[in-house]
Amino acid sequence: MSDTTEVVQKEQQPVARGEREPAEQRATLTPPVDVIENAHGVTLWADLPGVSKEKLEVRVHDGNLHIEAEASVPTRAGLRLQHAEIRAPHFSRSFTLGAEFDTSKIEANLQDGVLKLVIPRREEARPRRIEVNVG
Amino acid sequence: MSDLYFATDLFSQLDRLQQQMSAVFGGFPSSIRSGRLSAFPQINIGTTDDSIEIVAFAPGIDASQLDVSIDKGLLTIAGERKRVAPEADESTRQYAQERFTGSFRRVIELPQQADPDKVEARYTNGCLSISVGKRESSKPRAITIQ
Repeated sequence: MSDTTEVVQKEQQPVARGEREPAEQRATLTPPVDVIENAHGVTLWADLPGVSKEKLEVRVHDGNLHIEAEASVPTRAGLRLQHAEIRAPHFSRSFTLGAEFDTSKIEANLQDGVLKLVIPRREEARPRRIEVNVG
Repeated sequence: MSDLYFATDLFSQLDRLQQQMSAVFGGFPSSIRSGRLSAFPQINIGTTDDSIEIVAFAPGIDASQLDVSIDKGLLTIAGERKRVAPEADESTRQYAQERFTGSFRRVIELPQQADPDKVEARYTNGCLSISVGKRESSKPRAITIQ
C-alpha cells in the first residue's frame, strides 16, 4: 500500500461484501454531468477529479455511450485515511445515443479533471429550414 | 443487506445508517464548520507520521483562482467554479445541470500539532492536494528505556 491511490482507495472490507456477490461488482461513483443540445449536436461535461488521460475510457457500443475512469492521486507512503467523502476511485456512467448522432465524430477533451464530450448530429439530421414556395 | 440500496461497501452502509439516525434523532452534534456531506469540493483527509494530507476533489478550476489559507489552526479552501455551459437560448437546450457552479468555501480544523509554516499545495487533474507538516515535537519516536 505504498502506491499512488490511497487517499481515494480503501480496501474493501471482506465483512462488507455479500458472500455470493460477484467480484466485479465494485463501488463506483456516478460523476455529475452537464448536458446541453444545440443545432450542432450535444455537448456533455463530466466531473472526473483525479483522472488522467490514461485512466479514462470513453466507448460507444450498440448506441450506448460509456464513460469509465479511475482516479489516482499521488500520496505519501504510510498514509492512514481519517476522513473520506470520496470512497471509491472508480467512475462510471452510461448514456444511450440516438441514431441521429454521428458516433464516429465524437470529440473528447479532458482538462483539470473535467471531461468534455462533443457529440455531433449527422449532417442529414441537423435542423433545416424548408423554404415554402408560393405556387 | 438489501441490494436495493446498491450498498457494496461498509462505508456506504455506515452512511445510510448515519442518515437514518439523523433523520430519527435530529443528528448528533458535529463540528459547526462542517457542512453537509455533499458539499463542494469533497475532501479526503489522511495522516502520515510527519504530515497531514488533505485532498480536495475540485475539478475544472483555474489553479490561480483557488485560495488556500491557514489562520488560527483553520485551513480554508475557497474559490469559484464558473459555469461552462452557455446560457440556454432559443437554439440551446439544457438537459442536465448536476455539476456544481458558484463560489465555495470549505474549512478544515487542523489538529494542534499541525505546523502552518510547512504547507505545500498542488493542483493536478482537478485534485487539490495539500500537505501540512507536523511539528517536530509531535512526531512519534521510540523512547529508550534506561
